[in-house]
Amino acid sequence: MTRYLASRFAGMVIVMLLVATIVFFITRLAPGDPAAVMLGDQATAADIAKLRTSYGLDKPLPLQFGYWLGELVHGNLGQSIFLQRPVTQALLERAEPTFFLTLFSIAIATLIGVPCGIIAAVWRGKTIDQFFSGFAMLGASIPSFWFGLILMQIFAVSLGWFPVAGYGDPGAPLSDRLHHLVLPSIVLGVVNSALILRFTRASMLDVLGDDHIRTARAKGLSEASVILRHALRNALIPVLTVLGLTFALLIGGAIVTETVFGLPGVGNLVVSAVLRRDYPVIQGALLVIAGLYVLINLAIDLLYLVVDPRVKY
Amino acid sequence: MFRTAIRNLWSSPFGLSHSAPRVALAAVAVATALGFAGGSALAAPVRGGAANIAMIGEPQTLDPMASTADLVGIITQHVYELLYTFDANWNVTPMLAESMPAISKDGLVYTIPLRKGVKFHNGKEMTSDDVVASLKRWQDTAPRGKAVAKEIKSLEAKGPNTIVITLNRPYAPLLAHLALPNGFAAIMAKDSIATPLTQFIGTGPYMFKERKPDQYVQLVRYDGYSARKEPASGYAGKREAWIDELRFIPVPNANTRVEGSLSGQYQFADLLPVESYARLENAPNVKPVLTSPFGFPYLVLNTKQGPLTSVTLRQAVEAALNNADMMGAGFGDPKFYTTEASHYARNTPFYSTAGTENYGKGDAKKAATLVANGKYDGTPIKILTSQQYDFHYRMALVMAENLKAAGFKVDMQVVDWSTLIQRRNDPALWDIYITHSAVLPDPTLTPPQLGDGAPGWWSSPAKEAALSALNAEADPKKRGALWGSVQAVVFTEVPYIRVGYFNSVTARSPKLEGYVAMPWPFFWNTWLDK
Repeated sequence: MTRYLASRFAGMVIVMLLVATIVFFITRLAPGDPAAVMLGDQATAADIAKLRTSYGLDKPLPLQFGYWLGELVHGNLGQSIFLQRPVTQALLERAEPTFFLTLFSIAIATLIGVPCGIIAAVWRGKTIDQFFSGFAMLGASIPSFWFGLILMQIFAVSLGWFPVAGYGDPGAPLSDRLHHLVLPSIVLGVVNSALILRFTRASMLDVLGDDHIRTARAKGLSEASVILRHALRNALIPVLTVLGLTFALLIGGAIVTETVFGLPGVGNLVVSAVLRRDYPVIQGALLVIAGLYVLINLAIDLLYLVVDPRVKY
Repeated sequence: MFRTAIRNLWSSPFGLSHSAPRVALAAVAVATALGFAGGSALAAPVRGGAANIAMIGEPQTLDPMASTADLVGIITQHVYELLYTFDANWNVTPMLAESMPAISKDGLVYTIPLRKGVKFHNGKEMTSDDVVASLKRWQDTAPRGKAVAKEIKSLEAKGPNTIVITLNRPYAPLLAHLALPNGFAAIMAKDSIATPLTQFIGTGPYMFKERKPDQYVQLVRYDGYSARKEPASGYAGKREAWIDELRFIPVPNANTRVEGSLSGQYQFADLLPVESYARLENAPNVKPVLTSPFGFPYLVLNTKQGPLTSVTLRQAVEAALNNADMMGAGFGDPKFYTTEASHYARNTPFYSTAGTENYGKGDAKKAATLVANGKYDGTPIKILTSQQYDFHYRMALVMAENLKAAGFKVDMQVVDWSTLIQRRNDPALWDIYITHSAVLPDPTLTPPQLGDGAPGWWSSPAKEAALSALNAEADPKKRGALWGSVQAVVFTEVPYIRVGYFNSVTARSPKLEGYVAMPWPFFWNTWLDK
């Protein structure tokens, strides 16, 4: 186990180094210039060049890369050009809405996807199965921005139950901030539940055809016990994988949903940074997201040990 | 540069303002204000409350000098003030200056008396030292200030309450530059001046409290504010902060700004899609505000490199374009745009018909003749445009067809806005790019191609002569005619093409009283009904 973990962490370092290199060069090779965006339309080429110099953007790329890597080793992700604060601080400020949004979305997706997937599998081919399959198809096809705007019009504008956008007024308590997350969480939850439903159904169908399920039924166990204790547990591994991947994707920022609902999360930060060509923020955010992705994948692999004792590392 | 309106995204990185058609604009602004606030005009102002103001995005900076982005100017004009400002009729009017300057007979020396007893947000009284330090910083760091700095020989304090500006040559637009709240000559407390700014200490009715990027910029009332005594008019006159707290909230998604206005979450929403106008008009809890005219789209032609270095071919482009079709494609309903050949609207001092016979009506025959006369070699015309502003892209599509009909080959290059504003600095990469500007009160304020060194790199003896004459003339009546000469040169040499005017749509809550529609919205003298 220790060896396994050591090799995974070593692999992680290599992955992160690759990500850092690719992200840095892709970001810098893309056209666009933060200085020009920052100074506005009246700025002359000389103004832009001066600002570029002040941020070290006029230096050769390998030199800039070396400097950035050196800072990374010391845990410094750099300084945002636009926000005038460290990238780490900017990311931490965005972490709360993204974290809670991810958590609620996954909870909603799981609460919809897993039970519906089980029901669809157990009553395979029946009306209820077709209904849920249709729902899954619909959920996977709905553009989240459109769904978000529809929910916004109904529940925020017409009924006034929820705020349209934002993350609360200055100094708003946590409860108020979380209130702003209800609609976006529903959007992401419903959209992502489709995939979980499909995986749960497929995985359950596989397991329900296994010998041990027939044995369990032959032993006279109740159908509920057969499905929930014997089938579901065995079917969970692929579902866990999907859940983990979804979690990892969302923690990196639900870009469209955050933008539509004006949430100051990580996704919004990345989009703004790309539009402004705020290189340090793009690089820092993508690196952290990649790191989280790798860590979450590791956590899922370790979770297999708990779910299925047959798994050994 | 501009706050355009109309498209869906509105996340503009520019900043202009508009104010050109003084009388016309003023008339519209006043009419709009009366139209929408009329019912409540008699209501007494109420102190208190917090206003959520939905903006098109996060400001690039809170340094009012550093950027000409509208967002920056709109927010920071509540914190910082200028020596002069514009009234409702776009006349330059004193703000932190006590009165209009005493100008020497040769037009070279401006002696500006300062108001006494004006307090900065740190409690210190404003003196000429603060003003000189601020204006020097503006000349050193601000894109607009640098342009003006070329005209300034010296800037010095004369006692604690007077400054003297000496020019190299007569330069009539000086006061308009000192009054423009965009990339502006903000007066800052001397001891807060730094680059980059870390303290935001001005004299305005609101002071900076907190900025949470992508969440809000929070301003609170400054109780020590020293207001002018004259009645409020446009940006000028008495300013009073009735609302306790202003929150400028970045909401880049235009539809979200619309929904937020309809739900009552925002007391004001800036730059909404024109498509939402009817919906806003029919909603009981929101009032749409149409500012007309608001800005103008224009095409910049590359006079430095490529086929359009030929004046004849630039004239061919001008003749080929059907400006009415382009505006229709860009803005849809004529309620939201006008096609006007004059660069300034009727009934303004700068209205002129000089050169307007060349305003593009899609004359493919004439254009084809000019193409032949210009010995066009078939090199594709590179059109640089962005979908970040929908109307840019839609207009570019019409332009491409117009040019093809005249015999040009076209290479459409659709890039994001950041890329466009980088590429336009390289003359090898484009022949025409599309942008827009707000309408400004003095013709020398925009577009930047009237100055030196802006992309397009227009330089010619005719330009120099016409602009020098305009800049040297201080008399507004004579300046109108002189501007006509500049306009004629623009129509002849075609360094840029103004396509038409467009209007902007914003929305306010009926509870937000006292609001006066101006190109850069402001919220002093407004209050929230209980």
